[in-house]
Amino acid sequence: MAKLTIDGGAIEVADGTSLFDACRLARGEALPHFCYHPDLSIAGVCRLCQVEVEGMPKLTIACNTTVRDGMVVHTRSEKVRKASQQILEMHLINHPVDCPICDQAGECGLQNQYMAYGLYDSQVAESDKVNKAKAQVIGPHVILDKERCVLCSRCVRFCNEVTKTGEMGIFNRGDRAEIGTAPGRELDNAYSVNTVDICPVGALTSRDFRFQKRVWMLKSADGVCAGCATGCNVRVDHEAGRVYRLKPRRNAQVNGSWMCDEGRLTYKDVHADDRLVEPSWRGQAVTWADAKARLAEVAVGGFALVVGSAHQSLEELGLLKLVAPGAVFSGGLAGSDMGVGDDLLRSADRTPNRRGLQLAGLPEHDAAALAVLVRAAKGAILVHGGDPAAAPEVAAALAGRQDVVYVGTHRRATAQAATLALPGATWAEKAGIFVNRQGRAQAFAQAVARPGQAREDWRVLAELLPATAAAPASLKALREAVRAQLGLGIDLDRLPADGALTGGEA
Amino acid sequence: MSFEGLPKGSTDGRRSPLESIYLWEVVKGLAVTGRHLVHNIFHTGEMPTMQYPEEKRVYGERFRGRHRLMQREDGTPRCVACQMCSTYCPADCIHITAAEHPDPAIEKYPATFDIDLLRCVYCGLCEEACPCDAIRLDTGIYEIAADSREKFVVDKEFLLNERTRGTR
Amino acid sequence: MAIVLESLAKIVFMFLLIMGMVPALIWAERKGAAYIQDRTGPNRAGIGGVRLAGLVHPIADVLKLVFKEDVAPTHRHRALYALAPWLVMTVAVSTYAVIPFGDFLTLGGHTYKLVVADLQVGLLYVLAVASLGTYGIVLAGWAANNKFTFLGGIRATAQMISYEINMGLAIMGLMLVFGSLRLTDIVAGQGGLLFGWLPMWGVVLQPLGFALFITSVYAETNRNPFDLPEGESEIVAGYHLEYSSLKFALFFMAEYCHMVVGAAMISALYFGGYQVPWLPRPMLEKHAGLLLQLVLGLTVAASLLFAVLFLRRVQREKGKFGDARDREPVLGAAFWLVVALAAAGAFALRPGDIGAAGASIFASLFQVGAFVGKVVFFAWLFIWVRWTLPRFRYDQLMRLGWKVMLPLGLANLVVTALVVALVGSGK
Repeated sequence: MAKLTIDGGAIEVADGTSLFDACRLARGEALPHFCYHPDLSIAGVCRLCQVEVEGMPKLTIACNTTVRDGMVVHTRSEKVRKASQQILEMHLINHPVDCPICDQAGECGLQNQYMAYGLYDSQVAESDKVNKAKAQVIGPHVILDKERCVLCSRCVRFCNEVTKTGEMGIFNRGDRAEIGTAPGRELDNAYSVNTVDICPVGALTSRDFRFQKRVWMLKSADGVCAGCATGCNVRVDHEAGRVYRLKPRRNAQVNGSWMCDEGRLTYKDVHADDRLVEPSWRGQAVTWADAKARLAEVAVGGFALVVGSAHQSLEELGLLKLVAPGAVFSGGLAGSDMGVGDDLLRSADRTPNRRGLQLAGLPEHDAAALAVLVRAAKGAILVHGGDPAAAPEVAAALAGRQDVVYVGTHRRATAQAATLALPGATWAEKAGIFVNRQGRAQAFAQAVARPGQAREDWRVLAELLPATAAAPASLKALREAVRAQLGLGIDLDRLPADGALTGGEA
Repeated sequence: MSFEGLPKGSTDGRRSPLESIYLWEVVKGLAVTGRHLVHNIFHTGEMPTMQYPEEKRVYGERFRGRHRLMQREDGTPRCVACQMCSTYCPADCIHITAAEHPDPAIEKYPATFDIDLLRCVYCGLCEEACPCDAIRLDTGIYEIAADSREKFVVDKEFLLNERTRGTR
Repeated sequence: MAIVLESLAKIVFMFLLIMGMVPALIWAERKGAAYIQDRTGPNRAGIGGVRLAGLVHPIADVLKLVFKEDVAPTHRHRALYALAPWLVMTVAVSTYAVIPFGDFLTLGGHTYKLVVADLQVGLLYVLAVASLGTYGIVLAGWAANNKFTFLGGIRATAQMISYEINMGLAIMGLMLVFGSLRLTDIVAGQGGLLFGWLPMWGVVLQPLGFALFITSVYAETNRNPFDLPEGESEIVAGYHLEYSSLKFALFFMAEYCHMVVGAAMISALYFGGYQVPWLPRPMLEKHAGLLLQLVLGLTVAASLLFAVLFLRRVQREKGKFGDARDREPVLGAAFWLVVALAAAGAFALRPGDIGAAGASIFASLFQVGAFVGKVVFFAWLFIWVRWTLPRFRYDQLMRLGWKVMLPLGLANLVVTALVVALVGSGK
């Protein structure tokens, strides 16, 4: 442990901690910085995090200094203030200040730090600034504006260190130095939009989000990416009932600071045109009151077969077992929703909760086996989420049956095949828990309102409960019931910020 | 208690016997209103009433009337869809959707720019917020009337057109 | 049969008189209020450009109110809600039955009394019917099932009870003086002269009674400064808050009918009714020809004056509006010139010799005219007062009624009784 004094206050940190982190702890806020990033190597190029260390002849950058016992550090002295102001002025010499058309405005490092540490009058006329290329498409997801760049090199380090693809670099020297892709190459790796996230200014912008919304209008909810079994922690940015983008939320245990480009686009499914937004009886839209009456007709003898899905939350899967205690259970199609994985973040398994399915004890079946189960069912069939009828065998088995109830979110094959289709909520429209491939239970919060007459799935399922079972009064009560049912040793209603392991094999 | 500052005739609760009878005060009041009545019957021209559609008040140069959008030299809007105005707008009456402009020097332009004149409070904050001097309230138009709510929602083409009046 | 026809004719005359005065009063209210407040007032609505200084507005108002949607609260008491405005209106109009609007009219050798019902207990009838008016307001307030209307109704009741007593006391003084409850007797008793020069009007004989009476009448009609049942600053619009369209129009009209009835009562009881001061009936009949000439001459002079005024407007406002309104001064000048010509023609015919029967008819009409003139003045006074005085506070209203006017009324009654006992009644 190293004891040091920062701005007159004593603080004790572990040996080997960077002075930057120690200052963040002591000050309650980070030092001004552009190039420092916790998940990238230290570059020390922006020179903004300079602090005064007693005994050192000149100011030193905190990010590249390791703490030493007995250090006396000043981060708010006049010398430091002046230095950071002047460095900032230097960064802004050739900046075009086109904030009105810049997507970064509102979450921009230059804006924030100018307001916090700058506030000087510019000495550079706009006509004297060096002009560089604007709005260059450098990849399928990213647009580059070279004028806005402050050459922090975060994107270069990301491509070199994280994806190890090395598309980007800094070219030329002096005030002609500019960021760019290597000749003949595109920024087309599977994680390219992370460069947009880490870019402290508006040099790199996302083509998907570009001009869709000013960032200060967005509200955020903490979510978990439903794109694959990795379960990257995300921030769901939304406004007026619409999700506009997903951004990674740092969780060192799961995804670090990153997420894949594919996962970022999963929000589009939430606003898809084929969303199931009202109950439908044999293809005809009905009211919930009517749907309930029809339900009593269909499920008069209880459910004989219950098919779950790895797309549903852990709570819903637990509740599913209570709906029909005596029924045959299936977890849906084995091997469905598989894609290409890699050893960085992406899993080949493109479902968010296959581990949850296993925890809840819902075995998956291949298409043929599921078709056999469907044919063998002597009572009504309940399908919750997923799209098992996408498999022709299952669709054939379901065809002609008049007792299939589907609770789901999209009007796809299973919804078409069902006698009664009830609209549920997607991950953005409800709260719940996914168990990722590590067996880590992670909670996600509701971001936007449900469209049309869609309801939270657990409330829909609670309607289907037999008269003998008591419906859970709240999500909290449901979580407690599921915890008891699955014999989990963790409090599902108060999961830690980085999730909790459910045990079992990883 | 001090009686300074009270208007002449104020008694602060103390009345002379004549005043306390009240009837005489009523007659005095009637005389005042009667004087106005008779004076106005014989001097109709002196009344400050303005016969509105025929006579119109001349407003100051800084009067904030209906908005207009300023044009570039080629007739396209100056607006770059930064949405400062809609952010600042206390009435939430400006709705802009931005789009990518084919010219990278312009980069961003408003695909739609709608103002709900019914919601607008004509505070002029949009004008203040605009970094491009693209929106102004200097048309002097204040006769904004229509027979349906939809007609009060004016679009980009309407606001750019210098010949439009009032509403759609 | 004859008596039915006679009564019917008189009822129709009275009804038309009141109903004709209502729009005129509404106009006077709006225009008068405007001029008192240095405004122009209504001057827009017109028929073919003729606006009559806003007199066309009441027609537009009525058309609007008739064709408006009748919005009514769901939780109202349907029957009473519909009944209330009619009750108010009916009561307002029925009071006129006992008010003499002239002395008598001799037509074809038959003499008609110019009063619908010459009741012996006319004054009691007036008091009884006037208090019925409260029912309309209370029912309106209660049936609409709204707290504000209800408060308005309650206020009306309390106010009515308080001021009815004072009204009764004031009238009792008058009754002592004239020794009768019959209104025709009271009016006839005011024909003489006191000390040979002062008209023997009720106001001269009962000055305090008059002050009490006119105050009570203002309170009874719910007009400013006693319009607390409507009190829009506290209870929105009071009892008629939930009424719209024609039902509201009825309340509105009833208010003006009440004003006319109040003015008629004041004229009949305290200002000699149809009596023309210093010109008793025999004098009127004797100088009928001269008076007729005088009236015609004055008409000519007045019409010419109006015509000149319009002609000046023609000159001044040439093409001012650029629409039909430009025609108005021309039409006005033409109208008044025609009137002046007609009156001058009649003047030239020398109608001095209209005979005894003609003189009698003229005298009767002259007296009716005098009565109508007095009513118009007092109706205007209602308006004048409204735009002069602020509304009372409710406690002030009650204090005035019970602690000031009631003792004064009792004192007036006692003093009058003493004087009558010592000097003798006015009969």
